[in-house]
Amino acid sequence: MIGYLATILLLLLLAPILLSFIKAVKMRLLYKRPVSLLQGYRDFSKLLRKESLVSEEASAVTRIAPFLVLSPLLLVLFYLPPIAKGAFYVSFVDAFTITGLLALSTFFLMLLGLDSAGSFGGMGSSREAFISALVEPAMILTIFSVSMMAGDLGVGQAGVNLAHHFPKEHMASYLFAAISFFILLIAENGRIPVDNPETHLELTMIHEAMILDISGPYLALIETAASVKFVIFASLFAGLFLPFGMDHAWPVAAAIFVVKLFAVALAVAILEVNTAKLRLFKVPNLLGIAIVFAFLSLITYYVLGA
Amino acid sequence: MVDFLIGLFLATLITALFTTRLYRLLFWYSLNSLTLGLLALTVGSRIGDTAMLVSGGITIALKALAIPYILKTLSQKFRLSRQTPPTIKTQYSIILVPAILVFTFYLAEPVTHMVQGNANYVAISISSLFLSLLLMIEHRNIAPKIVGFLSMENALFLLGTTATGGMPMLVELGIFFDLLMAIVVVNLLLYREEVES
Repeated sequence: MIGYLATILLLLLLAPILLSFIKAVKMRLLYKRPVSLLQGYRDFSKLLRKESLVSEEASAVTRIAPFLVLSPLLLVLFYLPPIAKGAFYVSFVDAFTITGLLALSTFFLMLLGLDSAGSFGGMGSSREAFISALVEPAMILTIFSVSMMAGDLGVGQAGVNLAHHFPKEHMASYLFAAISFFILLIAENGRIPVDNPETHLELTMIHEAMILDISGPYLALIETAASVKFVIFASLFAGLFLPFGMDHAWPVAAAIFVVKLFAVALAVAILEVNTAKLRLFKVPNLLGIAIVFAFLSLITYYVLGA
Repeated sequence: MVDFLIGLFLATLITALFTTRLYRLLFWYSLNSLTLGLLALTVGSRIGDTAMLVSGGITIALKALAIPYILKTLSQKFRLSRQTPPTIKTQYSIILVPAILVFTFYLAEPVTHMVQGNANYVAISISSLFLSLLLMIEHRNIAPKIVGFLSMENALFLLGTTATGGMPMLVELGIFFDLLMAIVVVNLLLYREEVES
């Protein structure tokens, strides 16, 4: 019980650090002086102290939506695969529930973008809808394919089964699922080949366009939601595709898990430095490749059993 | 381990199908050959076949390092276009590639009963044969066509390695020399093309 709650608290605390870590690695690779890992916390506390301005045109949605963006993501944190053996609670939720909760959060983010009646918000919302509509089928296919290999539809139980019995005989389809999920991780979190989280260049921004009009504590909530989303995807990747080191005592297993999260963040950072941002209309191609790999993983598993 | 490498082989080939830049294509081809060489080394050390170990080593040295490097210098020498957009649009390839894979997986089913050992490898190598054919079809420029031809040779090597436990050493060496000759012929062709134009 304590381990379970401590895991969730650990993930919440790690969330801003991971995003700062990605930024710091990128700055170091570009020969800049890297930001502190605690920058996320500093931004959060600074935003909490500011007043929040709401547009005159905005309805009640703007006041409610930031909470509704964050809360489905917080709910998903409870359903992630456990990080150590003998966990207190192993969730029963499957790919549809997790994808649906993430989509609910995205839905309120899009509403928030539309509500302030600015033209940028509408543009950002339509782009976000465009991308998340392509992410969802691939994500469901990928998680289902991994669940098949693990022999359980529930994501949490699948993680436990994979750690217990690593699918050596299904390595090929497992690898395809991992590639597909990594592309989805990048697309859904708005990292560089899809969206650049650091610019406010009006033609290219997606996530930033939706939250241009938000300020103060509301912005702090949205930023937290973005970091929690990254930590969800990173720990899903770590739980489903790097399933080792779970049979130690809780502190050791948690330390290994944190190392895995940082490894995922490092991979994202290195990829970000080495690629250019795709044009918006090239993004479906990238997500199409993710769908191809997810489908390939399923058919390789079914037809060949490899 | 072999399953992992064979998955990586197919994954690099599919990624090569979707690339639009020449140097990136050569990089994926080199990675493809590297996994092939590692696969031959793994299988060879498992069944204790020295000839396969040698041919795996030659594969890594020749196909993963030498041929991509030679092709890169050739493309720089003859100023080949570095942008190689496929003539088949990506959204059609996204439909086409899984269709080819499903088709070949079922197509290889009768053959797999004749093969002892792991039958999946035959299906994957036949499907990668078809995918490299697609790589040759979908490009107009000469350089990606050469890469498609070379990946087709990789697929045949994979078939030989995994299905039959290795072709005779003499045949393997002959194929390697053939490949080198093919590169020389390509050089001559490009040279003539430049002289005539």
